[in-house]
Amino acid sequence: MSSSEGERGPEGLETSSSATRPAVSSATRSADGPGPQAARPSKLGGILSLLASELRTLFRRRRTWAMLGALALIPILIAVAIRIAGDSPSGRGPAFLDRITQNGLFVGVTAIIVAIPLFLPLTIGVVAGDSIAGEASHGTLRYLLIAPAGRIRLLVVKYLAAAAFCAAATLTVVVVGTLIGWALFPIGPVTLLSGTEVSVGEGLLRFLMIAAYVTVSLLGLSAIGLFLSTLTTVPVGSMAATAIVAVVAQILGALPQLEWLHPWLFTRYWLDFADLLREPPVWDSFADNAVLQAGYIVVFGLLAAARFVTKDVLS
Amino acid sequence: MGDPGGLGVSAESADSAGLAIETHGLTKRFRSQLAVDGLDLAVPHGAVFGFLGPNGSGKTTTIRMLLGLVAATAGEARVLGAGMPRHVDSVLPRVGALVEGPAFSPYLSGAANLARFDAADRWAPSRTRAARVADALEQVGLAHVAQKKVHAYSLGMKQRLGLANALLMPRELLVLDEPTNGLDPQGTREVRSLIRSLARDGTTVFVSSHLLAEVEQVCSHVGVMSAGRLVAQGTLDEFRDAGEARALVRTPDADAARRVLQGLGMHVDGSISAGRVADDGGVSRPADASADVVVTATLETTPPEAVVAALVADGVRVRGFEVERASLEQRFVELTGEGFDVVQ
Amino acid sequence: MSVPSAGPSRKAVRWIPAVAVPIAIAVGVVVVPMQANAAVDLPDLTPKQLLEFAAASDVTTLSGTIEQTSELGLPDLSALKGDLAAPSTGGAGSAGAGLDDLLSLITTDHTAKVYVDGSNARLQVLDRLAERDVYASASGAWIYDSSAQAATHVVLPPDADLDALATAMQGEADAAKARLEAELGAALPTPEAMLDQALARLGDSTDVSVGTDSRVAGRDAYELVLEPGDPDTLVGEVSIAIDGENGVPLAASVTARGASEPAFSVAFTDIGYTAPDASVFAFTPPEGTDVTEQVIPVPTVAELEQWQAEGATGAATDHPAPPVTVHGEGWSAVVELEPAAAQGAPTGGAGAEASAMLDAITQPVAGGRLLSTSLVNVLFTDDGRVFAGAVSADRLAAAASER
Repeated sequence: MSSSEGERGPEGLETSSSATRPAVSSATRSADGPGPQAARPSKLGGILSLLASELRTLFRRRRTWAMLGALALIPILIAVAIRIAGDSPSGRGPAFLDRITQNGLFVGVTAIIVAIPLFLPLTIGVVAGDSIAGEASHGTLRYLLIAPAGRIRLLVVKYLAAAAFCAAATLTVVVVGTLIGWALFPIGPVTLLSGTEVSVGEGLLRFLMIAAYVTVSLLGLSAIGLFLSTLTTVPVGSMAATAIVAVVAQILGALPQLEWLHPWLFTRYWLDFADLLREPPVWDSFADNAVLQAGYIVVFGLLAAARFVTKDVLS
Repeated sequence: MGDPGGLGVSAESADSAGLAIETHGLTKRFRSQLAVDGLDLAVPHGAVFGFLGPNGSGKTTTIRMLLGLVAATAGEARVLGAGMPRHVDSVLPRVGALVEGPAFSPYLSGAANLARFDAADRWAPSRTRAARVADALEQVGLAHVAQKKVHAYSLGMKQRLGLANALLMPRELLVLDEPTNGLDPQGTREVRSLIRSLARDGTTVFVSSHLLAEVEQVCSHVGVMSAGRLVAQGTLDEFRDAGEARALVRTPDADAARRVLQGLGMHVDGSISAGRVADDGGVSRPADASADVVVTATLETTPPEAVVAALVADGVRVRGFEVERASLEQRFVELTGEGFDVVQ
Repeated sequence: MSVPSAGPSRKAVRWIPAVAVPIAIAVGVVVVPMQANAAVDLPDLTPKQLLEFAAASDVTTLSGTIEQTSELGLPDLSALKGDLAAPSTGGAGSAGAGLDDLLSLITTDHTAKVYVDGSNARLQVLDRLAERDVYASASGAWIYDSSAQAATHVVLPPDADLDALATAMQGEADAAKARLEAELGAALPTPEAMLDQALARLGDSTDVSVGTDSRVAGRDAYELVLEPGDPDTLVGEVSIAIDGENGVPLAASVTARGASEPAFSVAFTDIGYTAPDASVFAFTPPEGTDVTEQVIPVPTVAELEQWQAEGATGAATDHPAPPVTVHGEGWSAVVELEPAAAQGAPTGGAGAEASAMLDAITQPVAGGRLLSTSLVNVLFTDDGRVFAGAVSADRLAAAASER
């Protein structure tokens, strides 16, 4: 089949179609009748293949790189500002800001603290909120579905791609922060919150674990964004709604009157990643956070699936 | 008028292999509006089925139901022998489709867009993907712009890319919704030829259009939609035959001819002078007794040869005799009760 | 294939898992702990046996997580502190910092880790994006505050001879005991007898009972319940959970009278009795830390003897009497601070910021301002005295008007 496929027909639609098509079609039909049943591909293989394609698409988009670039600007601005303006008085500004002049490795963590309330949720909102609604608005959703991508498979792949973006976004902040800190400030053993020092190597490892922690923290929001994305064909709507949900959850989390609600908010552990900077590292909140985010993924994943499998695709 | 080769193939496989598309009472209601109402489609294997209807008559909604994009309110649809939308996963890999115009991610190149849709098909081998994409692009004449971003494509180029997408894998059924939309005359001819060659090859093609010319030239079967209902379907010939046949008699003896025709029970509905009108500038010789007049009458069941015999027997000088069928266009207007391009 | 398409009922069915899962989660969260509690059944003990059991606890190594929560009914202070959304900055350097910290300690919830082995102990208070630590060992203690990057080293004077001191003190105690026994003409009661006496005394004002067994920090625990009999106090109940295996107190909570939830509670959420790794106790102040050395004055044996001599002759009476008066006794005791002692308290000119905060959390009453919580009331009188107690505001006012 590939040999006839490979043949380059003469230019123009008429001639080339008659040259290649018959050979291709008859070959398949005679070989395995109704093609699909003959060699049924594995479900996992299908997901991986579509995921690879989705990731290529996501990271081939200029918008994705623009957002990662904007996130990278946060540590760069922090580092440059401190380099120019000098040390900040202790206790002012975001946590760890006053440690940067002593140890440039703290730029990344400081940038994460700055980015987590708004900038990270905003970019995740764009990616997750766009996942289904964006395809619908381009009309590509119908072509993916008749390919057929499979509705659940498409949702899973879209979610995994959003999760991959979460990891890319947090890694961008941490890695760029570490590099710019390395370039502009002295580097040394990292002083942990407990007042103990660890080597540069272990410090970097801890920062990577923080990136993992923050990535996990954002998975619940991604699931919410995915669900919102199935509700509309206007991607801007679901993107904005996702970002707003993140902000509202943080405001609710700051209201003591709603204390009963706090354990259920997906933003609950967003700033608790510093537990990994203690000695010994405290993993309790990491585990609690993972369970909480998993709960959000299950609930909003099921909501998204329920909505999407019954949805009439009219765009 | 139709493509003889295409018709020949379709006739053979229609007998042997049942129906490629079959619906029973297929209905879709959007809130208060009934978009598709009790559709009973039957598209034989190997047919080139022209799905005709004015804009807004429910063609696209029907196609969306056939492809599992929209859930039917009532009724059932079977495509390639399996119920939809339940068997979407096993049926759609064998179906190539162009639904309501092409749609692509504008920030990706044409080739990347095709590769993306191909990756969504679990049965499409990734090994041969690049070759198949290149081949499909070649087929629709887009090889030279394969690496250009789609937002730089013209409407016609997008339409071609949409066709290329439908042709990425060998298909048993092609569903093409308005395939020549936005194409120049050259492109339209190419698409027609493509459909013919695919049909010759055994692929069933379901083409929807509001343009009669497209359907007439390539189709073996037609179905006509009007206001959500299927008002007619069958082979193109059946469809044409179903129209009213009229006898046109060219004779200088108009009165005698009229008498004879009426004597045969035919309804004479007019006569016009048929002189060399164009040459002589219109009705220049109405009084000329020897000038030809064309008398028209409905043929109904009378065999044409019997009409001619009767005329000759009565001494009518028959200078021309023609049996005229209603054109498809007239037929269409008859069925839909409204012109093309009229949104209901 | 009679119903190939999704009709309304089928559509509804799709939503079932999405609705069922949150319900299942909620049920799991509520029901599972209840069942876990219901399963606990330890051998019955009387209050006295339970106290003895707790007193006999010989656990010297543990590590665990403590959670402190309080629902004192104070107004929201986070808005006042102005760090609603921003991460806590620790607030070093501002005029009201001391009060700020104090209030945050009372009104907010805390999580801390505790590590104890035979000779070292560490308390690790897990603040958001910050940490406070106390590393205690035989050679002294480090108090570290990560947000201020400050460490305080509390040490004994280098020449302190603790062993000698301890020997001397032990000698003193034995001598005192001998003197006392000689005077009484009888042996002093054993610890067990003292417990009996204490319980008897307690019994006058407090109803001591053993509550229902429960699971605390994953361990089966007894519950010791103290209920004040005094009708004047705001305290409704004090509950202490005691590990059913080794007698370690696992939780304590104070519930206000009439309330169903504790106003204040401290509890282990997780505990283990194996010795923590030694590295947990290691602390060297990192570079860039402000280190304060603080030497606790420890008397030498000679000084101790000198003090005793002075005490015997009444020479030490030149110290001013503590400016603290206690009105009443037991649960309804009211503590009065004289203006001099109350100087450090907010009313005494600790700065405009502090007094603004005090204004925000107190309400004006006849004769002063009242800080009212579900458990404790504090009255700041206009003449600068401070009255505090686990009693109603009226009782405080009455105590204030006694003079």
